[in-house]
Amino acid sequence: MSAVTAIETESLTKRYGAARGIEDVTFSVAPGEVFGFLGPNGAGKTTTIRTLLDLLHPSSGSARIFGLDSRRDSVAIRARLGNLPGDFGYGKEATGREAIALLARLRGDGDLGRAEALAARFRADLDRPLGQLSRGNRQKVGLISATFHEPELLILDEPTSGLDPLMQEEFLALIAEERERGCAVFLSSHELDEVERVCDRVGIVREGRLIAVERIDDLLGKARRRIVVELADPGGIETLRAIPGVEDLALNGTHTSFSFAGDLDPVVKALAVHHVRDLEATHPSLEEVFLSYYREGGEPG
Amino acid sequence: MSAQLSALVGAHLSDRRRSLLAWGLPLGLMSAFIVAIFPSVEDSISKAVQGYPSGLKEAFGISQLSTVEQYLQAEMLSLIVPLALGYLAVRAVASGLTGAAESGRLDVLLSAPVSRRRLVAAGFLATAVELAAVLVITGLLTGLGSLLAGAGLAAGPALAGFANVWPLALLFAGLGIIASGFSLRTSVVTGAVAGALVSMYVLDLVGRLDTGLDWVRYASVFRYYGNAIEDGIDPLAFAGVTAAAVALGALGAWLFDRRDLAG
Repeated sequence: MSAVTAIETESLTKRYGAARGIEDVTFSVAPGEVFGFLGPNGAGKTTTIRTLLDLLHPSSGSARIFGLDSRRDSVAIRARLGNLPGDFGYGKEATGREAIALLARLRGDGDLGRAEALAARFRADLDRPLGQLSRGNRQKVGLISATFHEPELLILDEPTSGLDPLMQEEFLALIAEERERGCAVFLSSHELDEVERVCDRVGIVREGRLIAVERIDDLLGKARRRIVVELADPGGIETLRAIPGVEDLALNGTHTSFSFAGDLDPVVKALAVHHVRDLEATHPSLEEVFLSYYREGGEPG
Repeated sequence: MSAQLSALVGAHLSDRRRSLLAWGLPLGLMSAFIVAIFPSVEDSISKAVQGYPSGLKEAFGISQLSTVEQYLQAEMLSLIVPLALGYLAVRAVASGLTGAAESGRLDVLLSAPVSRRRLVAAGFLATAVELAAVLVITGLLTGLGSLLAGAGLAAGPALAGFANVWPLALLFAGLGIIASGFSLRTSVVTGAVAGALVSMYVLDLVGRLDTGLDWVRYASVFRYYGNAIEDGIDPLAFAGVTAAAVALGALGAWLFDRRDLAG
C-alpha cells in the first residue's frame, strides 16, 4: 500500500451555474483510514464523490488522490480505487457475474476468485439479471464490484442502503478488514450508527460546505454531555447554576439534570460539598451530535 | 484493438443482440417481400412509372422500374433502409452513452480505469458492427426472397446497394455522439439526430426537385448517397462519408470528455 495521502482536497468547489454544489471543501484521508462523510440529502456528499471520481469537473480548487490530479490522472487513479455508487445500476439484462467479469477485464484482471468468495459471503446472486434483483441484492453486487480487486481506496456512497441488518454487519466487518489491509475508505452514509462504529474520522457537510472534520472520539468528547445527579438536598441546584457552561438545568423531584461540555472538574467540585446519592453522565450519540450541528447552525458547544 | 476496447465493444454488442433481430428481421422480411412480388407486378409497375412526371422520377432516382434491382432501390434503398438504419445508428450509439448514464451503468464503467474517449470509441465501433450486421441480415433475407420467388436479383448490385447504406447510417452515429456531448437524455439525443436525419433527406429531395435549389443538397449527406445498386459504390463518396462519420465521432468524444456526468 502507498504511504502517500489517499485523498487530499484543497478548496474544492463545484458550482452548477447559479446553483450550489460544493464550496471550498478541504480535507484529507490517510492510507488505512476510514473517513465518514456525513450530511443530509442535497448537502453535497455525492457532488464531492463525483468530483473526486472526475465524473464532475471542479469549478475551482483541486483534488489529489494518491498524489495524482483527479482530473488529469483520472484513469491512473481509477486503476487503484473501488467505487460503489449510491444506487448500483448496470442495466437490467446483464447478470452480476457479467458486470463483474467486464470490470475485471477492464482492469486487466481475469481472476474472479475473490469476487466469488465475496458473493458467497454476502449471499449475492451473481447469475440472475440485475433487473430482477431487489435494491439490496443489487447493492451486494455493487459492493463486490467495488472490492473484488483489492483496491487501495474505496469510495462508497450510501453502501448499506437496502441491505438487511445481517448484511450490514458483514459489510462493517469487511470495511474493518479492508482497513487492516491498509485500504483507505471514504464512506458517505446516513447510517450514523455504522459510521460511529467503523469510521476513524468524520467530515460533516452542510449546504455544500464542510463545517467540521474531527476524530469520532474528539467529536463525541467535545459534545455536551447529559448529566443527571440525585442530591439529598435539592437546594444544591443553585450551586450548579453558578457554574459556567451548565445549561438546560432542570429539577425533577430529587433528580437534577443539565447539559455540560468540557472538563467535568468544576461540576465535580461543586457537587462535592453536597450529599450525592447518584450521578450519571452520558455522552451523546453521533446522531445527536450530528443533529446539533444542523439545529444550532454550528459546532455544538 | 486493445483488450479494453474489445471488452467494451463485446459488452455493447451483447447488450444490443436483440436489436440485431428486432431491426434486421422486419427490414429483411419487408425487402424479401418486395423482391418476391416483383415478378407478378413487373408489367403494371413498369407502365405506371412511365406515366410519372420526370421531375418526380429524378427526385426519387427512378429512371425506370423494369428490373428487380431498380424496384428494390426504389422501394427500399432510396428511403426506408437509409432512414431506418440512420435512426438505428443513433439509438445504438446513444444506448452506450446517454442510456448508460440514465441506467447508472456509466458510473460503474467509469469506476474502472477506462477513459471516456475509449468508452465513446467502443460505442462507435460497436454501432458500426451492429449496422453492418443488420444490413447483412436484411441482405440475406432479401436474397432468400428472390431465390424463393425466382425474382433473379443479382447478388453484386444488391450487395453494393445494401453496403452503401452503412457509411450514411454511421454518420448519424457520429452526430449522436456529438449530441451526447450536450445532453445526457436519450430522448433529446435521438430526437435531435432523428430530426437531422429527416431534415437532410428533405433537403436532398428539395434540391433534386428544384434545380435552382441544388445547392441545399450540400448540407445533406444524402447528396453523397447515390444509387449504388445501379451505378455501383462510389469509392470516394463511401470513404468520404465514412471519414466524416469518424471525424464527427472524434469531435463528439472530445465534447463528451469535457462535459460533467451528473448523477
